Amino acid sequence: MNRTLPPHEIDAFGRELDALRQEVLDQRGQRDVDHIRSVVRTMRYAEAAGRLLLHVGIDPATFALGTGALGLAKILENMEIGHNVMHGQYDWTHDPELDGESYDWDMACAAHQWREYHNFEHHTFTNILGRDRDVGYGFLRVTSEQPWNPAHIIQPFVVVGLAFLFQWGIGAHALRLDETIAGRQSVAELWTRARPFLAKGARQLFKDYVFFPGLALVNAPRVALGNFIANGIRNVWAFAVIFCGHFPEGVRMYHEQETRDEPRGAWYLRQIHGSANIEGGRLFHVLSGHLSHQIEHHLFPDLPACRYPELAPRVRAICERYGQSYNTGRFRAQLTSVARQILENALPSRARPARMH
Amino acid sequence: MSTLATNAPHVARTASFALRTTQRLSRALLLDRSFRFWVDELAPVASRAELRARVLSVVDVTHDVKTFVLAPRVWPGHLPGQWVPVEVEVGGIRLRRCYSISSPPNDPHVELTVKRIPGGRVSNWMHTHLHAGDFVRLGAPSGDFVLPETKPTKLLLLSGGSGATPLIAILRDLAHRRALEDVTYLHAARSRRDVLFASELARLSSLHPGLRVVLHLDDASPRLDATQLWVLVPDLAHRETFLCGPTGMMDAVAPAFLGFEGRLHHERFVAAKPAAAASGAGARIHLGRSKRTITTTGRGTLLDELEQAGERLEYGCRMGICNTCRCAKRSGVVENVLTGAISNEPDDDIRLCVSVARSDLTLAL
Ligand code: FES
Repeated sequence: MNRTLPPHEIDAFGRELDALRQEVLDQRGQRDVDHIRSVVRTMRYAEAAGRLLLHVGIDPATFALGTGALGLAKILENMEIGHNVMHGQYDWTHDPELDGESYDWDMACAAHQWREYHNFEHHTFTNILGRDRDVGYGFLRVTSEQPWNPAHIIQPFVVVGLAFLFQWGIGAHALRLDETIAGRQSVAELWTRARPFLAKGARQLFKDYVFFPGLALVNAPRVALGNFIANGIRNVWAFAVIFCGHFPEGVRMYHEQETRDEPRGAWYLRQIHGSANIEGGRLFHVLSGHLSHQIEHHLFPDLPACRYPELAPRVRAICERYGQSYNTGRFRAQLTSVARQILENALPSRARPARMH
Repeated sequence: MSTLATNAPHVARTASFALRTTQRLSRALLLDRSFRFWVDELAPVASRAELRARVLSVVDVTHDVKTFVLAPRVWPGHLPGQWVPVEVEVGGIRLRRCYSISSPPNDPHVELTVKRIPGGRVSNWMHTHLHAGDFVRLGAPSGDFVLPETKPTKLLLLSGGSGATPLIAILRDLAHRRALEDVTYLHAARSRRDVLFASELARLSSLHPGLRVVLHLDDASPRLDATQLWVLVPDLAHRETFLCGPTGMMDAVAPAFLGFEGRLHHERFVAAKPAAAASGAGARIHLGRSKRTITTTGRGTLLDELEQAGERLEYGCRMGICNTCRCAKRSGVVENVLTGAISNEPDDDIRLCVSVARSDLTLAL
């Protein structure tokens, strides 16, 4: 349960987090660049190894290894590299390879659309119902505060489908298809939004299922299948990490009125109560793109993500001092919690008091 | 006409078409990044994405000046007196400075003579960390501090401190072209041990009777100013003068050219001036792309100010989170109002929605 903070405490809370942020800004340097470059290097070697094994091998063992390596490369590229670089976390290096504005990632979502809806909408209006379209992505009911409709009954199956096709979900999210269905967005507008997505998607499909298989000649089916599985591995992984960061029980939703003119401290509070962390080892954190530290990521989306693990205990200590909850748990526990939310909210809510208010 | 000759342009066109198609395809399939990675990994100097140069050697010139001899992969050529942007990575951050090229165009290598400036991030880094075998990134040589096409009959090359670097390039070029008739080379240095290229100057003046080398040492004679300059170069009025040095020295000698200012060509190579308007009001913002200049009112962030002035800019959160309002600051000082951080590096990226001007600025807008 969270203590309600009077305005002066909210400000003090905000100042403490500002100070943490400043501390990292002051130390930012070689270490962060070395980290991201070593991840890039690992990713490139894994990618090369994966492709080599898939393209020249003929046996099941090299197939499994190659697919695994390629899947790993895609995970690193999307999560620790793509997501973080596109947040502008490394813009200060002035290295064009780490430039947030020009980066494009190896997945179906068009980079500039993602930068708009994710960096701006989601990170500014985090968990404000009606403003943050990431709350259930417009078709899932992840909290009892969202109105129920009969279509939600099948959402447990929809979610499984989404997990396997996650990159397409992220890409299509920019279309606001639900708004067109509800009559709030014209078809012409939908088409404008669909074009970059379709173009990027087509290029990705061409690359994974025509270009690389084509290079492999007789091995084409093997390569196509390997790419398909590698994409799938990445999809399921990204899905799991992101759902655990946003939709376990205890994550709070907000209404627009309560966030109007909110001071910086309150904005920080909303980020904390609107996210959840996953505990794990260093490798786990890197593979999740440090989104296992969703709370720290939401507080400081533009600080180098490799700093989140060292910030986390300090953020948590501050929260404790101010009587604020800090949602964290093992991967399995958070996944179970998310599953329960999805299942429970598939049915209309029983009359129960809203949690966490 | 032979078949070969008729086919040549056709072949060239096909080749360039194939190259362009490959480039577009690799970009579309996101293979370009991977390609650049492997070039960096295996043969960094071969990069085509940017011009890189291998450091061949580092030579001590004086106690605080070193010459870096560079071998760029390709070199577009330069005129003596021009400078080149150099980019190095200091603490993970790429920093860019412009240095005059001290080698003449006929030299197979490119030489940069760099003084270690107290507190200067790039010059100190170069002095301590840049060794033979490393590489640096270069921009395109540029600058109009160059001799006219036909050499003026009477010439004065006037320098103070490390301002000698473009002038030595001019001198070396004239020596190479055997065009050193009636040239005065006047160099002001703090003391004897600060004189740049001393032995080379001695050698050149003994080889070329038309060259007069004058050294002015601050610790041995009165400060170099207009009067002193007339004493040292009595026929100043008849000479085309090329002047480069620290601001103080350039200002001190400037009055000597009263009445024939047209004969004076100068190059300022000092760093950007420090913060001017502390209140943020009245700073002038030059928009590099649209060539507009706006004067700030001091009442808001750069985003507000520019919008008030009628600029239509992209933005998202307006609170420093989403990075939509990012813009490259070419020069000047801004303060981040959230963090109080000061940015005074050229080419820093700033977020307009949380920045205020602390001096005149040039933005890439
Ligand atoms: S508008 Fe979002 S960072 Fe400036």
